[in-house]
Amino acid sequence: MSRWSVYVPTEKVPWNLARVVHLHRRAGFAATWLELQRDLADGPERAVSRLLNGTSRSEGVPEDFEALSATISCAALCAGDPGRLKAWWIYRCLFTPDPLGERLTLMWHNHFATSLVKVTNRSAMHQQNQRLRQYARGEFGTLLAAMLEDPALLVWLDATENRPGHPNENLAREVLELFSLGIGHYSEDDIREAARALTGLEIQDGIARLDLPRHDGGLKTIFGKSGAFRPRDLLDLLISHPATSERLAWRLCREFCGENAVDPRAIKELADGLRANRLRIDWAVETILRSELFYDASNLHCRVADPASFLLSLLRALECCDPPPSTLALADALRSAGLDLFVPPNVGGWPGGRAWLSTRTVLARGKAIVDLAYGRLHSSTVPIDPQPLLERHRGGESLPDQVRFLGTLFWGDIDHRLVDELSHAARDEADRPSQLRRVLILMLTRSQAHLH
Amino acid sequence: MFNRRSFLGRSALISLTPLAPGFLSRSLASEPVRSDERVLVVLQLDGGNDGLNTVIPFADENYARVRRRLHIPTANVLKLDGNVGLHPAMKSAAEMVHEGRLTIVQGVGYPNPDRSHFRSMAIWHQGRPDAEENSGYGWLGRALDSTRNTPRAAADAVSVGGQTVPRALWGRRSQVVSFNREAELMLPPEWTPTSSGAAAPPENDELMSYAERVVDRSYQTARQLGEQTKGAARLSARSYPSTELARQLALISLMIKTEIGARVYYLSQPGYDTHAAQQGDHERLLRTLSEALKAFLDDLAAAKLHDRVVLLAFSEFGRRVEENESVGTDHGTAGPVLLAGPAAIGGLVGGHPSLTDLDHGDLKMSVDFRAIYASLLQDWLQIPSDAVGLGRFRCPPLFQRT
Repeated sequence: MSRWSVYVPTEKVPWNLARVVHLHRRAGFAATWLELQRDLADGPERAVSRLLNGTSRSEGVPEDFEALSATISCAALCAGDPGRLKAWWIYRCLFTPDPLGERLTLMWHNHFATSLVKVTNRSAMHQQNQRLRQYARGEFGTLLAAMLEDPALLVWLDATENRPGHPNENLAREVLELFSLGIGHYSEDDIREAARALTGLEIQDGIARLDLPRHDGGLKTIFGKSGAFRPRDLLDLLISHPATSERLAWRLCREFCGENAVDPRAIKELADGLRANRLRIDWAVETILRSELFYDASNLHCRVADPASFLLSLLRALECCDPPPSTLALADALRSAGLDLFVPPNVGGWPGGRAWLSTRTVLARGKAIVDLAYGRLHSSTVPIDPQPLLERHRGGESLPDQVRFLGTLFWGDIDHRLVDELSHAARDEADRPSQLRRVLILMLTRSQAHLH
Repeated sequence: MFNRRSFLGRSALISLTPLAPGFLSRSLASEPVRSDERVLVVLQLDGGNDGLNTVIPFADENYARVRRRLHIPTANVLKLDGNVGLHPAMKSAAEMVHEGRLTIVQGVGYPNPDRSHFRSMAIWHQGRPDAEENSGYGWLGRALDSTRNTPRAAADAVSVGGQTVPRALWGRRSQVVSFNREAELMLPPEWTPTSSGAAAPPENDELMSYAERVVDRSYQTARQLGEQTKGAARLSARSYPSTELARQLALISLMIKTEIGARVYYLSQPGYDTHAAQQGDHERLLRTLSEALKAFLDDLAAAKLHDRVVLLAFSEFGRRVEENESVGTDHGTAGPVLLAGPAAIGGLVGGHPSLTDLDHGDLKMSVDFRAIYASLLQDWLQIPSDAVGLGRFRCPPLFQRT
């Protein structure tokens, strides 16, 4: 009995707004009210297809998005401030027609964690980011190959210092331990031999190539197989090793599913499926997003939202991206909350999960919410007023009705006692916009707001 | 040459606010601080410190052979006895050894050493060689959990710097406050976060309970800061070197002085993963470490608190005996552990590992790190180490008196 059988709505597991919100929060950066209603009406199959095809956003996407993105990244690379490159990526997350693509790019950035602090060449970091985006959904082997030729990654892991005689094992170790097989599936000898296979990589004019005279051309034995392995050969060994498919399955489940939602059998089954599908990432993503497991109660509200999901989802849902918020301010807010884009803490990436919540980061998230409410994330600095949004979508007249609308917009569902509690807490504010601001702050700084 | 593990923050001039961080004052409900309450500060040297070039076996003829370009000339070694001495950048540390304020335990490791940063660090954090990388409670978290029968302190442990709370501090119930600068705990005026108002969340391991606890505690800490800074006391800041490590130790010293009741502090010094061009980087790191430790101990001594504090400095592994082709070293195994503070026994403990009797080119350990953990818990913090599941390992005595 497959652990990944396709979800079909039933009475016990209905296709309701909570599940539509759940899908958009996990696979994208939330959705607007109209997008939610559309997908609620159309059913899960079409909703998921839209996310997979990059057609899920019906509003807020500029017509010439890619051209605008290119302009912004160009300006970011010319500017002195590395913050602009982070701001560019946030721009993409907010305005792309394909939020799933940006999500996957972020996942790969975490997987092949490379830091601007050491790499320093922002253009190389930007190009790595573009490569991650380009190969995010295809065969994992293609992505891994691209990374083994990526100048930023190679500099990061001292690849060019790796010479015949006494190899520098940095690149080899991280490729085996983090990027492909995972711990426990190789020996120290494998690492030493893999390091030999990776000697001779050099970067010229921003392009990586294998310099044969500086490559150790001798016989190597890796995973019990022998040959005069070069980087491409090592790559083939890694891709065909079953542990890689398992690590890939684990990574994807971690990205889209919550704590304890996926058992080891399910991961193994997904890994088997990946191997039967040439390690195609899009096959696995589709399998996950269409599955019963994904929509099961045990997978709802059980994933700690990373700072990008947390904050950018709120902006989209509240439809306050026109005029656009300050992406520089957002980059700063994300950094305070523990997600400094392009600057992972180390090559292992961001640990994620419960590690996103600590005193500092919880307070940073709260401050970001307050900043949002008081307009400090927008250059206009006008405090937010949700009333136009409420009018547009007929969110109700009384404060409790409006609170209920907002709760439904963010979470798909809200307990009536919480509605009462929030309405009561805001009653002393001077006017309705102030009341709504207080409600937003109270709502979005609750612990449940951090669990997607 | 910069390396991937480090990202040294800005080394700003020390600008300690003269305000006491009153937010960390004990709430009225908890017990008064005992004047002899002891503190453990754990300093994690991130990346795998090259022990062989830190505590140098200058009298061993093999040393110059295995480190052709990286070896420190005998004349420059700061000799501690007839066999070993410290790297020349560690002048302050050498003085402290001679003064009895610094203890060096040699050859520390664990069986079947793991050379993965993440795996080995997980083993040190959890005090278990079968440590799961992404789960499991920390040795300090478990130790603090076992003492949880008194009303709540503001915090059991404080984690300074870094982006996440180190796993060593993760416990089922123990409370950890993490921050890097006091400014992070200051709130905008429009926001007075309230606790959930409901009864304290259940102390189970469910994600929701966890989230509620962390969120509640964060808001509580911030509220107390808001209240306390209104009646702030002025404390003079001693001079510390202008490095990030020293700044963090100064912050810890300040918190110890204001008697918040936390028994454990945790911080890291990144940068030790010296795979290439090790010489300059390692020298800088060791100098920073040595001077920061001295400033910290001198500060505590002036405040008459130095008898109450012991600092443990460790690294997830040492490095290979032979240097690599990039004038650096790759991941190794056993290494030295430092204990700073006059309460520790002082001087050298154990002998330097042999440079010829090796394990696949790596040093063999003679002291299991769990023995050091057990002694720190049992003999220093007076928390029974049996409850923490560290196993029974022995090492020579580390403290003057228990």
